[in-house]
Amino acid sequence: MNRLKKLLGHNETYLGAVIVVFALIITIVNPAFIKLDNLFGLMKSSSGTAILAIGFLLVLLTGDVDVSAPAIAISAQYIAVNTLIAIDSNSLLLAFVIAIVVGLVYGAINAFFITTFKLPALIVTLGTANLFHGGLLEFVGTKAVNTGQLPDAFKVFGHASIFDLTRADGSSYGLSIFIAVVAVLLLVTWLILRFTLMGRGIYAIGGDAESARRAGFNIKRIQYFIYMYVGLLAGIMGILHISLIRYGNPNYIVDTELLRVIAAVVLGGAVITGGKGTLVGTILGVTMITILEKNLVLIGLSSYWQQFFVGLIIVVGVALTHIQATLRSHHKVVVIKSQ
Amino acid sequence: MGELFLEARNISKAYEGVQALDNVGLSLGKGSIHCLVGENGSGKSTLIKIIGGVVTSDAGEIVIDGGHFHHLSAIESIREGIQIIYQDLSLFPNLTVAENISLNQMVERRTQVVDWKEIRAIAERALVELGEEIDLNILVEDLSVARKQVVAIGRALTQNAKLIIMDEPTSAITREEVDHLFEVIHRLKAKGIGTLFVSHKLNEVFEIAETVTVLRDGRKVGDYDASDLTNDKLTFLMTGETIEYHPYTVDSQVVSEPPVLEVRNLTRKDEYTDVSFSVRRGEILGITGLIGSGRTEVALSVCGLNQPHSGEILVESEPVTIGSPRKANQLGISYLPEDRLTQGLFQHQSIGDNTVIAILRRLLSKLGLIDWTEKTRVQDHWVNELAIKTPSAEVSASSLSGGNQQRVVLAKWLATEPKVFFLDGPTIGIDIGSKSNIHEIIRELARKGMAIVMISDEIEEVRNNCNRILIMRKGRIAGEIEDPTSVDDAEIFRQISGKNGSEVPRT
Amino acid sequence: MTQKQANNVTLVIVFLAVTAVMSIFLPDKFLTVINFQSIVSQFPEYGLMALGIMLAMTTGGIDLSLVSITSISGVTAATVLVQYANWGLPPTVVIILAIVAALAVAAACGILNGLLITFANVPAIIATLGTNGLFLGIAIVVTKGSGISGFPEEFLVIGNGRLLGIPVPFLIFIGVAVLVGLLMNRSRLGFEMRMLGASPTVSQFSSVNNRAVLIKTHILTALMAGIASIIIISRVNSMRPGYGSAYLLITVLIVVLGGTDPAGGFSTTLGTVLAIVTLQVLTSGLNILAFTPFFRKFIWGLLLLGVMVIHYYRRRYYEKRVTQAARNAPPTPEGQT
Repeated sequence: MNRLKKLLGHNETYLGAVIVVFALIITIVNPAFIKLDNLFGLMKSSSGTAILAIGFLLVLLTGDVDVSAPAIAISAQYIAVNTLIAIDSNSLLLAFVIAIVVGLVYGAINAFFITTFKLPALIVTLGTANLFHGGLLEFVGTKAVNTGQLPDAFKVFGHASIFDLTRADGSSYGLSIFIAVVAVLLLVTWLILRFTLMGRGIYAIGGDAESARRAGFNIKRIQYFIYMYVGLLAGIMGILHISLIRYGNPNYIVDTELLRVIAAVVLGGAVITGGKGTLVGTILGVTMITILEKNLVLIGLSSYWQQFFVGLIIVVGVALTHIQATLRSHHKVVVIKSQ
Repeated sequence: MGELFLEARNISKAYEGVQALDNVGLSLGKGSIHCLVGENGSGKSTLIKIIGGVVTSDAGEIVIDGGHFHHLSAIESIREGIQIIYQDLSLFPNLTVAENISLNQMVERRTQVVDWKEIRAIAERALVELGEEIDLNILVEDLSVARKQVVAIGRALTQNAKLIIMDEPTSAITREEVDHLFEVIHRLKAKGIGTLFVSHKLNEVFEIAETVTVLRDGRKVGDYDASDLTNDKLTFLMTGETIEYHPYTVDSQVVSEPPVLEVRNLTRKDEYTDVSFSVRRGEILGITGLIGSGRTEVALSVCGLNQPHSGEILVESEPVTIGSPRKANQLGISYLPEDRLTQGLFQHQSIGDNTVIAILRRLLSKLGLIDWTEKTRVQDHWVNELAIKTPSAEVSASSLSGGNQQRVVLAKWLATEPKVFFLDGPTIGIDIGSKSNIHEIIRELARKGMAIVMISDEIEEVRNNCNRILIMRKGRIAGEIEDPTSVDDAEIFRQISGKNGSEVPRT
Repeated sequence: MTQKQANNVTLVIVFLAVTAVMSIFLPDKFLTVINFQSIVSQFPEYGLMALGIMLAMTTGGIDLSLVSITSISGVTAATVLVQYANWGLPPTVVIILAIVAALAVAAACGILNGLLITFANVPAIIATLGTNGLFLGIAIVVTKGSGISGFPEEFLVIGNGRLLGIPVPFLIFIGVAVLVGLLMNRSRLGFEMRMLGASPTVSQFSSVNNRAVLIKTHILTALMAGIASIIIISRVNSMRPGYGSAYLLITVLIVVLGGTDPAGGFSTTLGTVLAIVTLQVLTSGLNILAFTPFFRKFIWGLLLLGVMVIHYYRRRYYEKRVTQAARNAPPTPEGQT
């Protein structure tokens, strides 16, 4: 009974319920939705968003926003791929190493500006996003890497699966290895957040930064960790992304992923002022966004309704969450504000 | 005093030429309950920071349990068992009670991996030691201030505290909670853990303090037996001057006038019930009560910030509904909020902008634009009128001292020319010298015909400045004192707390 | 000199430096009427959006839906314009109708944003993130995903015409900027916006109607996007939903560069205009020097970081001076707090 009560107190429970209802509706209209191959496909195509969302959540937990992750992802991807082509290598491992190194360095640059000059992360990362992406296009290149040029390792990785199943017609499909990557990253991040002092420090900073400092947390070190971790995640996401679409355009990811990632994390119940938010919520948020984006066509809505519904769901979702929070707050005077 | 635990000897500290502490000494016995008082700027916070190792002294030494320290560091201070609980309590609202209690210890031990069983165990031990019960899984943001305080004390215990320093611990909790806090302090004392209260006024903490140390202008005035101190004596020790109050009276003609504001049977669920009162021109009506007695809530309702559920408000005998502060303003009702820094003052905006924000409408030219010359005139007028100490009205309000900041907030409301002026805690956090100054301004306003409602939990303040006092207890008006000169503080306190005799503060 | 003025001086110095370098090294290309005209006709559309963001930021919020509002109001105007032949109305009337319709739709978007923020208490950054998708979605649904083009000749004057040799978009921008300047420095609403941004609690206690101020702010912000959309569709002679999505980051960058505090409470219209002009001159210079637009992006990022670092050092300098001044001041009877 107590457990149930606790469950009902969580935002995740409601989001989960909405997703189930949604999935049911789509299934009724179009039973193809619930088929495993469709679900596997959805999971695979949303894995990049999920990885960026994990990073975004970490930063949001401290009450900050990092908008440079997509720029880091594309930079890491493009630099890694072009390096491999240049030295005629076909090593996926090398690609990951390069992308991760780029991500860590770029993350460190963010952390440097944020910690040294005590600047708001939103503004710093807005600047570095332009710096990283502009720098990439100017100094590395603008040409797309087409499928023919792409080292085989990426294509193999993009097709690799954890296990395969066979359809009625004899063709086979599988659960992409991407899911394993996301699962490992989720597990690692969860362990960090839950079982390390670093992770608790992240929540502590989001709760009250000054108290965290007084408690003896090394705020600077935690911030370096967070932004470099975001860089690392972005690097991995970059490699997954090119392996999925088998095409490398240095203008991809940058303008498309950011809003989707923010929407997923916020729908997942993370609070913009920091300190509150869970990985479960974030993954549910990604699921919600993915189902919305990829399945409206399945229930007979033309594709141009998609944007509208995604927007509508986010607006209604956040409005309900915040109205509920306001009703629950114990404040005597409700202050009308825009932050 | 018994065995000494901590002794600060000949401590001096200067900040860029200003002597914050000059050869100050402080001795605390093991398990003693001690109080350190002084006005803002007297050096008490600097002394605390030096004992906590956050600030290094220029001269002098600190002896803790026989160990001598010339440059005590924060870590050493904590290792020696000194814990400071700041007024904001430094808790994490988004984390559970268990984590809030245990986290500091985990950080100090530099354990990188968090063992949740251990976190619970540490927290449980601390609460058992305190003799308190709080659900370990509750988020701290869902606790009352008093419970949060217990969590903060529990956290201090996890770090083997031998001396807990508490900054103004009773300013935001109810009387029952204060009594409870004192029980906890006594329990700590029984375990040999001492408490040092830091305060800038005479208040509840004097009830259990054994010794009081008074600081003034960076120097120690002396150590006193708490039972020997009275309010007047303490004021004298803290300021070096005796401040005389003349009771505020109104002539009989005023009393016969119809009230400017009348409140009938005002009720707001869970906050206050069936509150009725009225106030006339020239009156200073005091409303006093403990935190949670409903005193502030009633004022918020009358001033349009907190809708009442039932009841009537009449302004100059006309029934009105006040749905917003703007409406209150139009009716001639103004409210000076209790929290100056977060509700009253735009700290980083100029004094002038602060002054005119509520009267912008009056500064508009025919074109509907703000008349800058008129604005300058108005703001300069108020800077002069209230003697705000500043080179110019264009200076940021944050550069002013507390007393001058409060004058800026006063100016904002006086500019609206209110008929009824609610002042909620008009001198909270303001030095005694500046305080009497603000009281004089308020009296002058009333003499000129404004109706003033002064809300305060400082009994002395309302008794000295009001011609009539309402006492609120648990959301109701519990009594009215028609002639404040006829009663003493102890009597008012009895009415406020609804208790008889035994726990009257020594004033 | 206040911090605000100091920031404007920094921008003027950057502006003059860029102009001087360009003029000295490339007088034949930079100092031409054509170049001037191209400079001033390029920035008005995102300059207007930047002014809009500035208004929202003054209140401590932001409007991430601005680009989508441009889309939806642009689509509205375009829809009206292409219908004109069917209605048999004179082009001028149709154009006025189109503009009014576009601005009305923009205002409606602003109202929705304002309602979400003030009635549902959703932080502006999240509310407008959501409506961003919603507005764009509506624009896409209305156009069924394709573009609208073919407007009356007379309409194209707005985006491409010249008056006394000065491009019309620039004139519109100057006019709007002056109005915004008046709003922020001389009007009651502007004053209240700034104070609300500094502290919503204090402003509410000071009898400011926070709800009305915030709703009005978001309407004005949206109107900036509405005006920008008219210029855009006239200049391009077509409307495609999603046009200008890259402007979002640029406009935020401009406003911060101009010296507006993203936390609210401080903004400067002059600073924003200076930032817009400086960036555009820099862009134009880089274009003449045959630098790619990518390099421009890189430089903009660098510039934002550089200016923020300068802000940091200047703030430290001021704080030091203020605390010193406070300490050197003769002790007042009530002492210092």
